[in-house]
Amino acid sequence: MLWYKGWLETRYKLCMALGTMGLILFVQFSVRTTASVNSDAALFGALMVSIPSLVTMICAILAGAGVATQSSFRANKGLHGSMLFTLSLPVSRLRLLAVRASIGWLEGAGAMAALCCGLWLLLPSLRATVTAVEMFEYTGTLIACASALYFLSVLLATFLDDQWRVWGTMIGSAVLWWLFSHTPLPASANIFQAMGKSSPLIAHTIPWTAIAFSLGLAAVLFFAALKVVQAREY
Amino acid sequence: MTDFIIETNQLCKSFKNKPALRGLDLRVPVGSIFGFLGRNGAGKTTTIKTLMGLLRSDSGDAHVFGIPVADADRAVEIRRRIGFVTEDKELYPYMTVEQLIRFTRPFYPQWRDDLERRYLEMFELPPKRKIPDLSKGMRSKLMLLLAISRGAELLILDEPTDGLDPVATEDLLRELVAIAASSETTMFFSSHQLSEVERIADHIGIIDRGRMIVTGSLDDMKLRYQRLQVVFANSVELPAHWADGVESVRQEGRVVSLLASHNVDSIVEQARSIPGTTVERFPVTLKEIFLEHTRSN
Repeated sequence: MLWYKGWLETRYKLCMALGTMGLILFVQFSVRTTASVNSDAALFGALMVSIPSLVTMICAILAGAGVATQSSFRANKGLHGSMLFTLSLPVSRLRLLAVRASIGWLEGAGAMAALCCGLWLLLPSLRATVTAVEMFEYTGTLIACASALYFLSVLLATFLDDQWRVWGTMIGSAVLWWLFSHTPLPASANIFQAMGKSSPLIAHTIPWTAIAFSLGLAAVLFFAALKVVQAREY
Repeated sequence: MTDFIIETNQLCKSFKNKPALRGLDLRVPVGSIFGFLGRNGAGKTTTIKTLMGLLRSDSGDAHVFGIPVADADRAVEIRRRIGFVTEDKELYPYMTVEQLIRFTRPFYPQWRDDLERRYLEMFELPPKRKIPDLSKGMRSKLMLLLAISRGAELLILDEPTDGLDPVATEDLLRELVAIAASSETTMFFSSHQLSEVERIADHIGIIDRGRMIVTGSLDDMKLRYQRLQVVFANSVELPAHWADGVESVRQEGRVVSLLASHNVDSIVEQARSIPGTTVERFPVTLKEIFLEHTRSN
């Protein structure tokens, strides 16, 4: 039943994520049709730049810690009232966290798959240059590389309220992006590039290093989130 | 399992070096209705949260059903056997009454459909209504329904009648007694309403500044505690030391009022030994016991 609770908690967030994603794509497509110099290729290039930000936003919207179940503006003195009811259920904190994180992750994966399907259907030039298999690989890459950002948001949700968590995810992602471009971290592990110019759509290879880095980081962040939830007093 | 469903020994808990519990010793007998009393900030909610595993004690130990609450793995088992009503009565705002019941039911293998139906009807809870559209009283009723229908062995109720109107309070108190009588469920509840506690509790514990200052069977306590009114014939000097058992002494002219917690006969004898005195005994209410102890503490 935690799945049911998680779905009720996140369904409007999912609508919001899909709506925002649709709006951004609509704006980019509208710009293409009004500016005659732009082509599908230019649009595709712009999308490759904006998709990592879009994915970060989806992660920031959908993550949650499974304990704080009320929107922050209803919270009192930093504690969400229904949190006590949740914690009084005969469920371990691991299960609370894992179920809630899984729901948001699956919804995020669904939103990213919808994004890729949308691009495939709406961009004829994309269909001309990229095979369906490569598009499928890109979807998988996007979901895997977004996992690190998603679990960063899950970790932040264990001690921050909703609005701070969203900002924290954005800032954390920006810091990660900065680290990739200003420190000697291997470029092949750059998860942002793996969603953009090193993606299977452009490089025509799967960025395994970035995927492994992202999944590894996601596991570490999930473990850290679990430790916070287990250690916290409510 | 021991004779106590809840047992704490020297339980201590501080928040930012501010002690909330200072060596709390609490024993709740199996099958009892235990009224847990204390002023605001006395440590009632901290105790309840510690028993529920929401807070960790700094030292001392606490057992529920004989299981240590500090054992995170077994704490799930404790919670499966407890029905809990929180102080703030907050529930998921995105669910309706019906959805919340449907959500809660599968966690408890002993769920009682008959009780669920009964209280849904008795409390007049509209199944399709969303939680934020319920009054605080309605939310209290819903929490009680969820706690009682679990078929729990122990109900922990933090201010259960808070927000209820007098009729609903009356119905609820009657139901709590009926549940305790019919299902041998132990009830541990905190309340500020001393008259309510006095009506339904068979055991009480008074906590003040994180310590248990009075605990025991309410009937025993009422037998033991007596107010003695001593009237002196003339103005006399009161004894410097009263016999053991005198909790408080108040003097107004020739009349002295004593609250005795035990050893009443010796105290009466001591008073009568002063020439020209008359002594009358009066039963005391829980309110008097509570006020006397919390004030003097």
